Amino acid sequence: MTALALKPLSRTDLFQEDFAANAAELPGAGLAWLDKRRAKALDAFAATGVPNRRVEAWKYTDLAAALESPLEPATRFQGAIHEAGAFAGIAGTRLTLVSGFLHAVDGPAQDIDIVDLGAIGAKTPDWVKDHLGLLAAGPEQPLGAASLALMRGGLALRVRASNAALHLNFVNPARRHDFVSHSRILIVVEEGASLRLLESHGGEGTGQSLTNLGVELNLKPGARLEHVRLQSESETALHVTSIAAALERNAGYRALYAGLGAKLSRLDVVVQLNGPGAEANLRNVSAPNAGISDVTTVMDHASPHTTSRQLFKSVVGGRGRSVNQGRVLVREGAVKSDSHQLFKALLLSPRAEADAKPELEIFADDVICGHGTAIGALDADALFYLRSRGIPEAESKGLLIRAFLEDAIEDFVDTAIHDALWRRLDAALTAMGQELK
Amino acid sequence: MTEWMLEIDNLHVAVDGKEILKGITLSIPTGEVHAVMGPNGSGKSTLSYTLAGREGYEITRGRILYQGEDLTKLAPEERATRGVFLALQYPVEIPGVATLTFLKTALNAQRRARRETELDAMRVLKLIREKAKALNIGEEMLKRPLNAGFSGGEKKRLEILQMAIFEPKLAILDETDSGLDIDALKLVAEGVNALRAPTRAMLVITHYQRLLTHIVPNRVHVLTKGRIVKSGGSDLALELEASGYENVEAA
Repeated sequence: MTALALKPLSRTDLFQEDFAANAAELPGAGLAWLDKRRAKALDAFAATGVPNRRVEAWKYTDLAAALESPLEPATRFQGAIHEAGAFAGIAGTRLTLVSGFLHAVDGPAQDIDIVDLGAIGAKTPDWVKDHLGLLAAGPEQPLGAASLALMRGGLALRVRASNAALHLNFVNPARRHDFVSHSRILIVVEEGASLRLLESHGGEGTGQSLTNLGVELNLKPGARLEHVRLQSESETALHVTSIAAALERNAGYRALYAGLGAKLSRLDVVVQLNGPGAEANLRNVSAPNAGISDVTTVMDHASPHTTSRQLFKSVVGGRGRSVNQGRVLVREGAVKSDSHQLFKALLLSPRAEADAKPELEIFADDVICGHGTAIGALDADALFYLRSRGIPEAESKGLLIRAFLEDAIEDFVDTAIHDALWRRLDAALTAMGQELK
Repeated sequence: MTEWMLEIDNLHVAVDGKEILKGITLSIPTGEVHAVMGPNGSGKSTLSYTLAGREGYEITRGRILYQGEDLTKLAPEERATRGVFLALQYPVEIPGVATLTFLKTALNAQRRARRETELDAMRVLKLIREKAKALNIGEEMLKRPLNAGFSGGEKKRLEILQMAIFEPKLAILDETDSGLDIDALKLVAEGVNALRAPTRAMLVITHYQRLLTHIVPNRVHVLTKGRIVKSGGSDLALELEASGYENVEAA
């Protein structure tokens, strides 16, 4: 990723000013290891600042332009939260974070170590020190870097057993001021352990907010992480999540992301396949109607015998825009890398837009790298077929749209998660003006 | 007095501004099966799509009456609800919609539009199973996504199953024989014959005579270059098989 030298925008300075004024008050300030990593991250962020469209990786998603007003750093929320998130009712310990701060832990958490990053100090365990801030903090993920430099809250989690199940329930209650929250999630799944992580982001209010979340996923040899993430916020919300996953030998990362609402949402994913047998399988469904839903990924095949799969599906209505950028990097010596990515978008209105940009960089022989992109309207043959069987037009369209998205969901998750996702998806599609059955 | 199911009068149809049907006149009495035979490009599929109401098939002249009423103003789903059924030459694959879900949705959409009570899942399943058995369609096939990965024979059998479930008054079969081997053809023809009824009419569109040895029509019409050039009894199909379409045109 190249960053152009830019004349700083005033809004770009926002984060630097915050750091200059408040560095000493940030959690863990004074811990030498963390101070150093924060400073380094701030430098990484400064290379681009808040990216605008002149930064190549952000050319479809101008975050600087979307930031209309100065935002105050969020503070810890005092009060009761009743929102249980999109996955309420499904087994697992629920960790509720309010504006990025750990708010509540519901349920037992055996074999899982939990550290509140909003309150770290001298007693921080070694496993946190050994990992925090080493991923999702470089110049290729500038907002991820800012989320570390300005980290106010978040969680570090370590999983030592099989079949652990956690919910991350992110809530943004309405606030009096426009605000930005910088938070981090660090997850370490130890050798042979496995975790199912259900992450949901909900929000209310009409003020402007920027959620800036950095997520570090460390998968030790043979570790498994199944990640289902649903982001569904208000039409004024800005949301950037930078995920970086490092997979060691035979580790597996399976993720289904759903992006259902925000003025702008950007999911920036970097997966490092660092050991033989490492495998990443990513799915995405998004349904922007008024805003931008951007999923940008880098699959970094750094070891031989690694596999990556990506299937991204967007239904775009109104004046919505979907952005899918996927870079596949096969490094020298990473023979027998096997990669496939497919981006599909369905445009439901004349002003809907989809931008898809696959990118392959291959520096090894004997690899398989496939990619495909398809952007179009609903299939006229299929629509006629359903209508000719007596199914009304709106209902027929609904069936086809549902089928289009289901293709990325049905075979990937169990029924409970499937149904929870569809409750939100149906609502989003109905808002798009489609009758669904 | 003859009761007409379908009356097509001087029908002209254009697709993308190009006239394909150039004045078709053809009527089917209730209870009869008529065949339209013609070579490739004669306008057979245009006729079937026009009857089913597909967008892009513009009627520039003429009229279509279905049970004495103008059919042309109705949307495809309204025609289906009133009893018009088109078995497609190429049934569309829709991955992501289970066949059974599709059948249930369509049946109940039709019933709803006719102000009949919708059938619950159990009754729909029972109905579908009964009809499916005769067509050698198993549970496994019904669970698969609609037409996705189906063989040619499976697709055509599913079209006939739909016909059996929806019980249309006018069934149009567009080259239902194409892509079928002899066994599949027999099975499909048996399915169609089982649905022949005094209250129903059928229009069987085909290129070849062979389907018509299994589904014997009351009348045969020859369509070439957008016009009906000859009509006759079921023997006409055999004549055509022997002499080819060229000679009919010359006559």
